[in-house]
Amino acid sequence: MSQAGWEKPKHPLKRKRSQRVQFITAGVVILVSLLYLLVSGTLQGARYFITVAEVLDDPAHRGRTLRVSGAVDGESIDYDSENAVIRFEIVHIPGQYDDLAQALHDALADDNAPRMKIIVEDAAIPDLLQHEAQAILTGALERDGIFHATELLLKCPSRFEESSPPEALGQIPEHN
Amino acid sequence: MLAELGLAALTLALAGALYAIVACLYSARTGEGRWLQSGRNAALLTCPALLLATAALVVALLTEQYQLSYVYEVTDPGTPPLYRFTALWGAQRGSLLFWSLLMSCFICGAIGLNWRSERRLMPFCIPIMMASLAFFLCLSLFIENPFERWWILVDAPVEQQVVSSALIPPRAVPPTEANLQAGAEGMNPLLRHFGMVIHPPMLYLGFVGFTIPFAFALAALASGDLSNSWIRATRRWTLVAWLFLSLGLILGGRWAYDVLGWGGYWGWDPVENAAFLPWLVGTAFIHSVMIQEKRGMLKLWNMLLVIAAFSAVMFGTFATRSGVIDSVHSFARSEVGFPMLAFWAAMTLLALALLAWRWRGGALRDERQFASLLSRESLFVLNNVIFIALFVAIFWGSFGLPITSELFLGKEVTIGAQTFEFYVVPLFVAMYILMGVAPLAAWGGMTVARLGGMLRIPLLLTGLGVLGLAISGTDLLVAALGYGVVMFAAIVALCEIIRGVAARRRTLGEDPLRAFVALFGRNQRRYGGYMVHLGVTVIGIGVIGSTLFQTEVQHTLDRGETVAIQDYALQYEDFVRAQAVDGRLMHIASLVVLRHGDEVARIRPRIDEYPQLPMSIAGAHSTLENDFYVLLIRGDRQRATFRIYINPLVNLVWWGGLLLILGTAIAAYPKGWR
Repeated sequence: MSQAGWEKPKHPLKRKRSQRVQFITAGVVILVSLLYLLVSGTLQGARYFITVAEVLDDPAHRGRTLRVSGAVDGESIDYDSENAVIRFEIVHIPGQYDDLAQALHDALADDNAPRMKIIVEDAAIPDLLQHEAQAILTGALERDGIFHATELLLKCPSRFEESSPPEALGQIPEHN
Repeated sequence: MLAELGLAALTLALAGALYAIVACLYSARTGEGRWLQSGRNAALLTCPALLLATAALVVALLTEQYQLSYVYEVTDPGTPPLYRFTALWGAQRGSLLFWSLLMSCFICGAIGLNWRSERRLMPFCIPIMMASLAFFLCLSLFIENPFERWWILVDAPVEQQVVSSALIPPRAVPPTEANLQAGAEGMNPLLRHFGMVIHPPMLYLGFVGFTIPFAFALAALASGDLSNSWIRATRRWTLVAWLFLSLGLILGGRWAYDVLGWGGYWGWDPVENAAFLPWLVGTAFIHSVMIQEKRGMLKLWNMLLVIAAFSAVMFGTFATRSGVIDSVHSFARSEVGFPMLAFWAAMTLLALALLAWRWRGGALRDERQFASLLSRESLFVLNNVIFIALFVAIFWGSFGLPITSELFLGKEVTIGAQTFEFYVVPLFVAMYILMGVAPLAAWGGMTVARLGGMLRIPLLLTGLGVLGLAISGTDLLVAALGYGVVMFAAIVALCEIIRGVAARRRTLGEDPLRAFVALFGRNQRRYGGYMVHLGVTVIGIGVIGSTLFQTEVQHTLDRGETVAIQDYALQYEDFVRAQAVDGRLMHIASLVVLRHGDEVARIRPRIDEYPQLPMSIAGAHSTLENDFYVLLIRGDRQRATFRIYINPLVNLVWWGGLLLILGTAIAAYPKGWR
């Protein structure tokens, strides 16, 4: 029976050594399992977070699952509610910026900025899908030239950023 | 007047905190008790001072003092009174003040309750708590001041005429009341939900609560009093902080479920994860501290966990408040980011340096060694390994991978929800198995046969439960296994409670109810802990059901048309547009929910149009079995489109949360309540 393995050994030093081996073995097994979990999960699920220009410029990115970020062009949003399909366009924003709201605004004001068509299937239209929102999409740029997204995250910086001093307040009171 | 009052009170609180640091450290050096008392009094003064400052801001919010730029940014004339009050924590500046108030309340409680019993630790404990408070007060005074007002600089160019300043600038006049009212921005619509009324305060209480154990641990390291004294002093405070953090996380999930309109409650968002990290470390500490108390082991490890919990809180605060992380839960981008990062690094390094110093001196040596792999202490260590592994995996996915890839590859690499699930599911399975086995193991060690004997009945009942599920139609193997593992942990907790009640009945002849109450009263920690375990298993069942068996469909219906979804049917009855008192336009659909042909509910999903953005408010028919959850996508009186979710067992997540909170409250409640 397995009980025999757990009986008290006769020699205390031997017992100590055997216990240490057991603890070390258990520790190594746990550590290796955890490392395997982390490494294999990361290799399978890791996605480059890139810009619209990088996706469009590098043919190597075609067909690969990526995560891409861009500014939503509000006028391009089209929702087919019968088939639950969202179509819209995003415009390139730089990878680095100081002020996200400004970066999104500037991107949409630039007529020459690279643009990419997006399609999201079987999705409810999110409340935050608005003009000048930042869209973070996971999916792949397919042969049809459209980025087929499987995941859509949105951030509306103009709603969440702290406001700059409103000029409308600046009308000096008459009594002064 | 309110702004001046608030500023004066904030300054007084900061002065009190700084004086307390100096006086207590001087007393630690000289041993003079009167300096310690003086420092304590100054520390206690921070609480009424901050209450006054917070009251000034609340009054300003309620009485529409729009010259205060904070009031201007988070409310408008249409904001209802309840949300005017909750606007206190609706944006960065107010919530930082509120955070400091909660922290000072916790600190006063800790000083008041532990002053006599832990007086030797106080000369170091008070300065550490006050340093944390002073840091947040500095943020409030110098970076994110909630008492700043709008001023018009008469002589400045037009584009620089309007400034926000706490002090009155020279040659400045206030804007007109009409301009202020017309321009007031109003609250972010996402925050207009009952969950937001209580979710942030609970989360803040959980976060700031971890300051107390951290301060006691550091005081023990600094003073050299490394007996179990600091453990006794902090165990209950840790439980209290953990309770509030759990409540904050559960309420946050509920808010996301109701407000964000995607039929889920946890999206592995970096800010959600940042709040979950201290909870994981706190959970590990709550378990491992028992080993130090009972066996005098894991002294170094427990210190590390307390430091890690505080460090995780500070990191989570940085992640949420700096705005550097894109999340629907985060505050706007703010200049508090760098000071917070610096404070986090400084406190963590100071703690680790003190720890290393005491460890080298041999003061943190364990009194015993692990005797057997099959002992309660070894299984508790394994439990700690699981929680820390969860911590590492979630931290890695949320922050470690994006930061390191950016540093070394020049490109940010991220992972999605699926990868997080890949990491955590095996670890949660291991956690549930341990939750079942560890409470049955004996301290010191036991044989495999003995443990097997104790597990026989729970395993048998689990087997019967899984068989029942298979017969009732659960054909998904993963789900059956998941339910089985969770059920096993629940059955062990229930068996332990039943065994305790039976023992009392046998020996004392008590009736079952009396025996049950007395059992929890006599051994609050143990049986409160079992109730927490039961809560976690109920949550587990809810998560498995709502994740693996969720149904999601979209239908466009003509008025009067009915659509069948599983054993439900949904009939589109009517559509109205209405204007609410606060000015938002509401598009409301009326629907009848039928089940097996009988009407079970009438629901009204709607879209609220705020000036900032539209908000979809789900209509739901909730039972313990499932949630029939409907979103209005668009429509008019003739035709409307709906997104329909059936979320099986999702309500068990909230009920399990309630059990978890109740169990923690029992475990943390002061002794002698029976």
